[in-house]
Amino acid sequence: MSSSSSQFKQLEKLGNGTYATVYKGLNKTTGIFVALKEVKLDSEEGTPSTAIREISLMKELKHENIVRLYDVIHTENKLTLVFEYMDKDLKNYMDSRTSGNSTRGLELSLVKYFQWQLFEGVTFCHENKILHRDLKPQNLLINNKGQLKLGDFGLARAFGIPVNTFSTEVVTLWYRAPDVLMGSRSYSTSIDMWSCGCILAEMITGKPLFPGTNDEEQLKLIFDIMGTPDEQLWPAVTSLPKYNRNLPKKEPKDLKKLLQAHTKEIVDDQVIDLVTGLLQLNPDARLTAKQALHHPWFGEYYQQQ
Amino acid sequence: MMATKFESQLSLSRPYLTRLELQEAQNNTVSDVRTYLQRKNVIFGFLSELCVHFQFPRKTLETAMYYYQRYYIFNKFESELCHTVATSCLLLSCKQVETFKKANELCIMSFKLRNMNNYKQDAIESFKKRLFQIELSILETCGFDYRINSRVHIDEYIVKLGKALKLNHDICYLAWIIAYDAIRLNILLIVPQHAIALGILKITCELLGKNDMKNMNNFNEFKTEIDSVNEAYFAIVNYYINAFDNCSLKDNLPTHILPSVNLDSFIELKKNAGNDRGLKELGEQIRKSDKYLTTARDFTQIERRYVLLPQFISDEKTALGEKRFKL
Repeated sequence: MSSSSSQFKQLEKLGNGTYATVYKGLNKTTGIFVALKEVKLDSEEGTPSTAIREISLMKELKHENIVRLYDVIHTENKLTLVFEYMDKDLKNYMDSRTSGNSTRGLELSLVKYFQWQLFEGVTFCHENKILHRDLKPQNLLINNKGQLKLGDFGLARAFGIPVNTFSTEVVTLWYRAPDVLMGSRSYSTSIDMWSCGCILAEMITGKPLFPGTNDEEQLKLIFDIMGTPDEQLWPAVTSLPKYNRNLPKKEPKDLKKLLQAHTKEIVDDQVIDLVTGLLQLNPDARLTAKQALHHPWFGEYYQQQ
Repeated sequence: MMATKFESQLSLSRPYLTRLELQEAQNNTVSDVRTYLQRKNVIFGFLSELCVHFQFPRKTLETAMYYYQRYYIFNKFESELCHTVATSCLLLSCKQVETFKKANELCIMSFKLRNMNNYKQDAIESFKKRLFQIELSILETCGFDYRINSRVHIDEYIVKLGKALKLNHDICYLAWIIAYDAIRLNILLIVPQHAIALGILKITCELLGKNDMKNMNNFNEFKTEIDSVNEAYFAIVNYYINAFDNCSLKDNLPTHILPSVNLDSFIELKKNAGNDRGLKELGEQIRKSDKYLTTARDFTQIERRYVLLPQFISDEKTALGEKRFKL
């Protein structure tokens, strides 16, 4: 790819993914920068299924808040996916704003703009019957124009019919929904909405909301803040495979107080209402992406439209 | 694309081809059609056995059959290699439809079903390497275009469309049995799965003497059109007329729904169809000048790029200038 025999000039390395290494690249003909995702072929299993899924789903998704997959290159025994180039990811962006050891969140106006774009991208995925399943700041790419786009569809899947046999090994732990953590295999679009809620809170405060290190701790951190679920709040929760009857009963904490502690700007009631709607323990009660887009917190955007 | 410094081939995906386009392309790859078809039947049985052993759903088999047939549009058919190609197709299909199975297990069962019981681990390892090479070729043959196999499959469409058309359980059940025969046919390469499912439902209604789909000429509601549905209809009816003795329907006929069926039943359907035909073909001259079909794939080209949208090709074409552009 780096040699003169290629259409693309390989530039600096951008990062290492689970199944690929990503480089910045230049299309020699068009002069356009691209991201070259070099897929590592597994000696035991061949072409990674994550690469296959990513290709299959991303080739279908054309939306301004979803990273474009331009083409797939086969060079001898190497596979390279050519993506639209983005300057950085949301994680890098937030890290770059850390001063010393103290983390700080983004300006609320920027949080709103990013979150809006996130919902636009997720709405499009869900309308096209695709679950992302791994939304996290590292997978949200941003460019110098302030555009935010969903990337890394390696764990995504189409959810035509039926939806009851999904793997529980999806979504990075910190952004994983409680129903998935408790072993539910019939999740749907609500799984992505939980992640959106975690990301929104993280953008406000500059630190992850539920930074667990294992499944049990993750659930504990969630219940510490959101309260312990019961049958009244979440019918059928007790029949989930990993439901633990011995969990201490916790009351939900004041989210506003919690988030306000990490930002100098005033966290208004509307954004708290949105976070609460996204972080509903009961997946059926969680806001959908479309509902989230119509939330009053985004009111100023409709007036412009 | 040629340039002084680099060589790169840019291809636009064409996931479906017409019957004559397929023939044109296979002129380059299949020297003996009869042998190819005989082996395809054997391979269908082999893949079915593998799927039954691993308890894969039908969509895994359907996708593997799509890959197998697609592979031989652009790759030379050699009968000795077809079990290896088929195993590779199943490996890829498992990844595509998420019915994961370790490559090792697939290799071992592929050996066992061919009575190759005295194998050594070395043989498995080299077989696996071969499978992975072919897997990449299959992906390439499909232009890395999964619009066809990533969503709803024929048997699932039969249920969905059956409900939408308010067809009764018996019709849908018989259609589901017929669908198993359909997935061995190259109709998978010609029209999308929902058109095939509609064609099957139409055949089933007619076999059962039901008028539910009679005079149904507009399929816009189902995002397809009559020619595609008819293409599937005739492909399946013709299959039963030509190969009724080998079909699965004959052996699995639900007699409580349809007491008997035979070759004549399908001849009758074809006769009653009158002048209806399937997809319209382009003229011979156009086909003969279509390089996508007539030029053997140049797999020695170092860099081969695949896109789904004509826009990406035209963008580069504009950037490169007409003179230097050569597809």
